[in-house]
Order: sequence, then structure tokens, then C-alpha cells
Amino acid sequence: MRRFVIACAVTLTLAPSLSAHHSFAVFDMTQEKTLTGVVSKFEWTNPHTFIFVDVPNDKGVVESWAIEGMSPNYLGRRGWTKTSVKPGDKITVSVRPLKEGKPGGMFIRAQVGDKVLMPTGAPTDER
Amino acid sequence: MLVFARMRYAACVVSLAVAGFSAVAHAQKPAPKPPTEADWTAIAKLPDFTGVWELTFGAPAGRGGAPAGRGRAGGPPAGPQLTPAYAEKRRANLAKGAEDSQTANCLPPGMPGIMGQPYPMEFLLTPGLVTIVVEAYSQVRHIYTDGRPLPDDPDPKFFGTSIGRWENGTLVAETAGFSPQTEIDRGTPHGDTMKIVERFRLADPDTMTIETTITDPDALTAPYTTTRMLRRHRTWTLAEYICEENNRNFVDQNGKAGINIKKD
Repeated sequence: MRRFVIACAVTLTLAPSLSAHHSFAVFDMTQEKTLTGVVSKFEWTNPHTFIFVDVPNDKGVVESWAIEGMSPNYLGRRGWTKTSVKPGDKITVSVRPLKEGKPGGMFIRAQVGDKVLMPTGAPTDER
Repeated sequence: MLVFARMRYAACVVSLAVAGFSAVAHAQKPAPKPPTEADWTAIAKLPDFTGVWELTFGAPAGRGGAPAGRGRAGGPPAGPQLTPAYAEKRRANLAKGAEDSQTANCLPPGMPGIMGQPYPMEFLLTPGLVTIVVEAYSQVRHIYTDGRPLPDDPDPKFFGTSIGRWENGTLVAETAGFSPQTEIDRGTPHGDTMKIVERFRLADPDTMTIETTITDPDALTAPYTTTRMLRRHRTWTLAEYICEENNRNFVDQNGKAGINIKKD
């Protein structure tokens, strides 16, 4: 139950957070896709972070996915650092995929080893 | 050589003329008096606004509409009450179906949107001035509390021109003169005489409320008031936010939103 409440709180606070810089127009907000692959690059930059993940597609061909997250300013106050994700990390990440079917999406959550990464949450000084 | 000499002469004439003009222009405005020790001491007696604050989302709604566009049960409908002409302008703007605003291209939002960002703001109090450093888009607002009036005909600006006064521990800021590129809310333009009054006060030592009232005889049939709540984060410092650092999002001239997913 506690986990459910946290998940709801996260969902409710996500909308104003990401919509500050741009709309959700390019993402299919009705879909959730889970990818497993290897991180090739982590862009810890404004206005958004991007995790690039090499993911084998249905035909076994490796595609590079670009996964957009909140800014380092926002995430840095919620426990993330520039090394939260590193090239070579094996990652399982859930995204709202791009509407046009290209390999990209909006970050929902990820697991790297035993570390769970969330897109938002209470500031670390209030936990 | 003669040509150069003539050019230099012309440059001197222009410089002198500019200097003379400036002197005249300055003579019309009394120079602000330098702050005294008493002015700095007076700041210590004001409510402690200094430091870094961040909005708490899901904060209480205000009269005439909530920040997130949700009305309160039994209260008036959400959002600004528009005149027929501006309701039509809003309808036309939304009918264009733009998928995003220019913020996707890193243009900062103006007032009042800049005060609703999911990033902290730092308040600085100096004699005659409250400065708000806004982390989002690395922007800054100045609220002059030295007794000057609002200009009669301010130039249109994203954040307008602001003056303020202290009333029993509340900073009351009045702002006028807004760029036509700013909106009351999404798709809702403002008129030339829009005015925004903000009341900043401490609800408890680390909680600030900002009650924002917009009046606009062209666009609104009633004042539009919203209230936001901020928490002070004493251990935080502001970070830079250079939107153009790595902006992969965009909206094109037809209002179509896009994203660049190419790994550099």
C-alpha cells in the first residue's frame, strides 16, 4: 500500500515537472514499454538528461534508444548524480515511447543492479 | 588621411552629442541615494525571505482557479474568467493545435508562468530592492521597494516592471508592462494594461505563500487570483540552467513538437 501511495504521488507530481519545459506531445502517454540493454551514454545536461541504451530489437538487431529524463538540477536534488547511470551498465528501463515509433521515450523508472532510479520524488533534504 | 581625419571628427561630434544627451536625460531623474547603515539595519527587521525556495506542487488552490487548472469543490470554475473577445482569442489560439509552446525552444516563459516552474528561486533583500533569482531558464526579477512609482507607460517586458512595498510583513509587488509574448495561461493572451499584484508572506518560518492577482480590463471580467506555496531549503544553492546546453526538444513554425534522438 505504501508503495502504491508513493507511486501515485510520483505520478501526480510528474506532470507539472516535465511539462515546465515542453509538452508530452511527442510521447505516447498511454503506452509503457520496458527495455533491457546496456547504457552507451548518459547526458547529465539541461534542460533534460538523456540515457542512451543499446537494446536488441525483435530481429536481434541492436538499436540505440534515447531516453529523456528530468534535468540534473531537478534530479540532483532527488538523489541522482552524474554517475547514477554509467556507460556499460546493464539497465532495465520503462519508458513512454515516442508516438512515431522511433527508438526513444520518456523515462518512467529504471533498475541498474540493485539500484532503483525514479523520475521524481521528495527532495532529499525533506526525506 | 583626410578621410580618416574627417571620420575621427565625425566620431567626436557624435560622442559629444551622445554625452550631452545622456547628461540631459540623467538630469531629469534624481540619482538614487546610496544606502546608509540604517537602510541595511532596517532589512534585518523585515521577514526573513532570504534563501532558496521551491514550489510545493499540489498546493492549495486560490480564488478563481487553481494553479494546476483544477477548481475547488463548490468554488468558482477553474481558470481565468475571460471577456467574450479574449475567450474567442483563446479558442482561436488553441484551435491552431500547436503541440507545444516556445519554451520547448528554450524561450523563457514570462509572468506569471515563470513563477510556476519546478525549480527553486532565491530571494535577495538589499536596500530598496528585492531580487528574485529564478533557476528555471536562469532568469532574474527585480522588485523596487525604494518608493518609486510604476512608470506611466512601461516598455513591454517578459517579467514586466515591478515595484513593491512592505505591509505588516507582507511584500506587496505590483507589476505592469508585459510583452505580448507572455500569456495569462496557456493560449490566453493579455491586454496592454494587465496588472499583476503579488503578496509574498511567510506562513511559517520556512513556508512562503504567494497570492497572485491578475487584473486585465481587456481580457478578464474579474480579477484572477491563485495562491502558491513554497518551501525553504536552507541547505540548497541555486544551480545554473542553460536551456540551450543540450536542448533536444523543439516546436516548429507550424506548432509541431519534435525531439532529436541522435546520439552525438
